[in-house]
Amino acid sequence: MTRNSRLKNLFLAPAALWVLAFTVYPLLYSLRLAFYRVNIGQSDVFIGFENFARAFSDGNAINSAVVTLIFVGGGVIIQLSLGILFALLFNRELPFRGLLRTIMTLPLFATPIAVGFLFFTIFYEEGGLINGLLPFKVPWLSDPSWALFSVMLVDIWQWTPFVFLVTLAALQGIPNEYYEAASLETSNAMTQFRFITLPLLQPTIILVLVLRIAEAFKVFDIPFTLTAGGPGASTQVFSMFAYRTSRRFFDFGYGSALAYLLLVAVLIVVLFFFNRIRQTYQ
Amino acid sequence: MTGRRIRAIIFTVLALVVVLVWLMPFYWALSLSIRSKAEAFTVTGLAVPFVQYRPTLENWIDQLRVPETTKALVNSTIIAFTASFITLVIGTPAAYALARFTFRPRLVVILSGVLAAVAALLAVNFGVALPLALTGAAALFVLLALTLGRRFKRALGNEDLTMWFLSQRFLPPIATVVPFLLIMSQLRLIDTRLSLILVNVTFNLPFAIVIMRQAFIDLPIELEEAALVDGASNFQAFTQIALRLAAPAMAATLMIVLAFSWNEFLFALTLGTLKAKTIPVLMAGAVDTRGIQFWFVAVRTLLAIIPPTILALLAQRYIVRGLTFGAVKG
Repeated sequence: MTRNSRLKNLFLAPAALWVLAFTVYPLLYSLRLAFYRVNIGQSDVFIGFENFARAFSDGNAINSAVVTLIFVGGGVIIQLSLGILFALLFNRELPFRGLLRTIMTLPLFATPIAVGFLFFTIFYEEGGLINGLLPFKVPWLSDPSWALFSVMLVDIWQWTPFVFLVTLAALQGIPNEYYEAASLETSNAMTQFRFITLPLLQPTIILVLVLRIAEAFKVFDIPFTLTAGGPGASTQVFSMFAYRTSRRFFDFGYGSALAYLLLVAVLIVVLFFFNRIRQTYQ
Repeated sequence: MTGRRIRAIIFTVLALVVVLVWLMPFYWALSLSIRSKAEAFTVTGLAVPFVQYRPTLENWIDQLRVPETTKALVNSTIIAFTASFITLVIGTPAAYALARFTFRPRLVVILSGVLAAVAALLAVNFGVALPLALTGAAALFVLLALTLGRRFKRALGNEDLTMWFLSQRFLPPIATVVPFLLIMSQLRLIDTRLSLILVNVTFNLPFAIVIMRQAFIDLPIELEEAALVDGASNFQAFTQIALRLAAPAMAATLMIVLAFSWNEFLFALTLGTLKAKTIPVLMAGAVDTRGIQFWFVAVRTLLAIIPPTILALLAQRYIVRGLTFGAVKG
């Protein structure tokens, strides 16, 4: 239907203006800051790309970029694999399937900052839950490599259910006739999975992948309470580094440049899949 | 037949194990929160209440007596509800407009607007007076739109506008922390609930628009058309018919947005340090005591987690749709 009236602009304008005022304007503001040396109490000095160049030679920035990439890559791959496996597992006759599915939705909206704290008590090395059950002690939070893995585990706990629920919904949307038709040709479950389930799931999986990657790049809350970026800087993710640069050292120019680099990284991922996502929304 | 039965049992057991592993952290938090301080560390393993220790409510009572906690609960509640309400009030009409009307903005006109705005900001930055910069920008925009705008006909559609709103969701929040901090301090809004309400509306508005647009598209259009034929105005078709039919979707959106606002941490930490302290910030403030007062952490964890988790349960049918922005129908 193509109705036209002045009403449509009246309806859209407040939202559009809100985004312009509170998202676009701040983004332009911080783009400006990224090209300046900002010191509180002094006037800003234009320094061109110096803040950006600094990020590429700053060991801390590079370290947090690597930490973030490991977190995003490892975490998202595990979430996707587990989520799809769980969806296949739950996509069959199970007693109390509805209830079990409901339980899996619980972590999704759990306050990340609280989840970080909760897992701090779970990973706690003396008297925590996991080491209390294991016959040996794992240095969950005191060893740099384990600490990053622990942060990933928390993200996996929280977000695998998302992959699971979305994949399950997509699986249940596949008409049964496809499998019935296929069963005339082959009874091999793997063949059916390979040639029916997987191709039909593909758009959903790509969507979930993009949403998860974009979300994982933003990670801040969980390492903030679980490890506070430590030990050392082994779990200092990029957002946290940018935040500390701005808030602890009041280096707003450099902090803004760092935030923009993260924005560009997310943008690259999203643009890479842009046409596929757009199709999904039409 | 027996082979199939065994397989069914194996899969059921596997599913149960998965669910139990995922439930474990909740159980642990509950178990810690009802343990006495002395037993927080001495009780090991699964820590089964009644068997390994005598449960007590003293941690809960202690925690709820602290004015700091109740104040944070009040702050979080006010901020989440107000922000969600404003989000829906602004977002729903925009979503309806994008679902039911045709927008054909011209790319060149939009680009002229952006160019003029950037020019104005640059001019102010380099010392031009604000009124002069604004007048100049307006003149530039009119000039560009009238000359270029007529020549290039390439028009954008509703999908492009929707994608523009959707793209805000991909934005790392850290990118706007510093400007928000500076803008709010210029407006003298630091450490007020209002600043956090503004922040949460900003983050949730695109979400609400994309979800509600999909909800309106999914409604049968015939009812609204019939009303229009009967002489109802577009506004009446929206309020009397579309809004009522979309009420369940609106309720679900409200719940999801409430949970997002309740959980928001980065900006609450930046802008609300004392008077406007929310539950997540209150929790983060306990960093100094971390590792020592497990019982204390457990109660706060549950206080933070329970409201959004209940919301997740209530909005369950819409969660898949919500978290994929309407792309997958759960």
